[in-house]
Order: sequence, then C-alpha cells, then structure tokens
Amino acid sequence: MIKAKNMMTKEVITISPNSSVLEASKLSTSKSVSSLIVLEANKPVAVVSERDIIKAVLSKKTKVRDIMNKNFLTISPNTTFYEITRTLREKNIKRFPVVDGNKLIGIITETDIVEATRDFTRLHQIIQDAILAIFGIATAFFLFYFSPLRAAVFG
Amino acid sequence: MARVSRIMLADVPTLKKEAKIEEAAKLLSKTENGCVIIVDDNRPVGIVTELDLVRKIATGRMNMKSRLSEIMTSPVVCMTPDMKLDEALKMIDTKRFRKYPVIGNGTLVGLVTKNDIVHAISDNVRLHRAIQNIVLILFVVFELFVFLLYKPLINYLGA
Repeated sequence: MIKAKNMMTKEVITISPNSSVLEASKLSTSKSVSSLIVLEANKPVAVVSERDIIKAVLSKKTKVRDIMNKNFLTISPNTTFYEITRTLREKNIKRFPVVDGNKLIGIITETDIVEATRDFTRLHQIIQDAILAIFGIATAFFLFYFSPLRAAVFG
Repeated sequence: MARVSRIMLADVPTLKKEAKIEEAAKLLSKTENGCVIIVDDNRPVGIVTELDLVRKIATGRMNMKSRLSEIMTSPVVCMTPDMKLDEALKMIDTKRFRKYPVIGNGTLVGLVTKNDIVHAISDNVRLHRAIQNIVLILFVVFELFVFLLYKPLINYLGA
C-alpha cells in the first residue's frame, strides 16, 4: 500500500508569518511551488497558496500573517493513499503538510496525488493483463490436454 | 473510453483581451478553476493562470490597470470535446500544461484540467477491473463444468 511518506515532496518551502507578501510571491515563483508552509516556532501553522497571494494584492495586505490560510490538514507519514484521496475529494483540501511527531518532513499537494494515481492506475492495468495472460495460457493448455488433438500429435 | 466532453467544466471564467489585470485577479480569487480564458469573439486566444499573476507580482512592478494581454500565455493549446481521455493525457504529457480550453465548432465550450483527466481514467480502470473479475469468475466456472463433463461427453458422442 502506498503511504504518504512514499508520495510526498520532501523539499518543503517554508516562510515566516512576519514575511511580506512580496517575499512570498518571489519564493513561490523562484522555487516553482504552488504553496508555501507558514512555520512558527518550527510548527506548521498555515499555508499560503497562489490564490492567497492574489487576494492579498487585491485587498492591499502586505504581511503573510494577514493572508495565510489556517484551513489545512496535517497528516502522518503513514497515512494511506486512499485516505488522502478521499479527503481531497470530500473536503476539498488540496495541501497536506506531512508531520512526524512535531517535525515537518514533507508536503503532499494535488500534483503528488495525481502522479501517485497515475502510477497506481498503471500498476492496476499491468496486474489485470498478467492475470488475463495466465488464464489464457492455462485454458489453452487444458483444452489441448483433453482434446483428441493431443493423441493425434503425440500418439 | 470516455471522452473529454463528459468531464469538462462547462462554466468557464472568460475575459476579453482588452480587460485589465485587476479584473482577472478578481475573477481568479472568486473562482476555483485557477485560470481565466481570454476570448476574442468567443474564440480562446490566450490563458492567464494564478501562476502568471503571481510571477508578475513577484517582479514588484505589478500594475493592476495594465492590459491582460501583457501577462497572458498566447496562443493557447486547446482540446476538442470528442477527444478520448487517453489521447488527452498523451497530449498533456507532450505539452506539459495543466489547463486546456475545449473548442467545439470554433467556439469555447469548456475547460479540462490534467487532474480531472487522471482521476477520470483511474475511475474508469477501476470499473473495468470489476467487470473483468466477474467475467473471469464466470469463465472459470464454465471451464470447470466443461472439463468435468468432457470425457462423458466424448463417450456419449461415440468419438
């Protein structure tokens, strides 16, 4: 079973609540990430997405503290793939900081989930094809074994 | 295999080429799609994503009153409603964008994202697997039946 620790992005880009919105925008474009984690005393307290930055500029707010989004869910490294996809679909939460004890060790975003879903789908298809192939060969063998053709060929 | 038209979003946020950046920012902060399609006479000519806007903000020279055409990606890669999902995914892998306007008869009819396509294919494969399992079980039962009856059948037919 795929777990959070196998699908997470290990390099998390963090920012302090006292930073400016401009710094946040520079950080997320230079590191090409769609969300930043706000750390306070080494604990994740909020997330900042591209949308939050756009909203900040519209409302003329300049501090990360004023725009950060506290509606997020931390998960443990052992959370399973199915639990994560279910939460994504049901609660419409798209970013999951992965926390081991109190330590931030990674982040799972929608992109990570989509990539894992693709790998999973591919694996499903391969298993499916393998089962079909085994059944096909077994059936062909049995039919041949019981048929008069065998006697004709091997005497 | 399902087609793009089944999973596309019909309600697409659009703006004219002459619109200001401010209007796009407002639209983006209100909707969940993460992009605005720029249309000219209902034909998509460009796209502005949240990322494009944040990039502009990061330069520190953001002017809310400037034209949207300054930051839009143009031309934009489009899909058609009758495209199959696996074809769509192949296209995404080569173009590497995340959002694609859908064009039918030369006009904008919808929007699809990479995420929607991957999830739809995954659901599809799961359904197929369930059907295949049922077929396999029926097949095995049938085979057992045939093998058990094979010799008596041959004898009966006088072979």
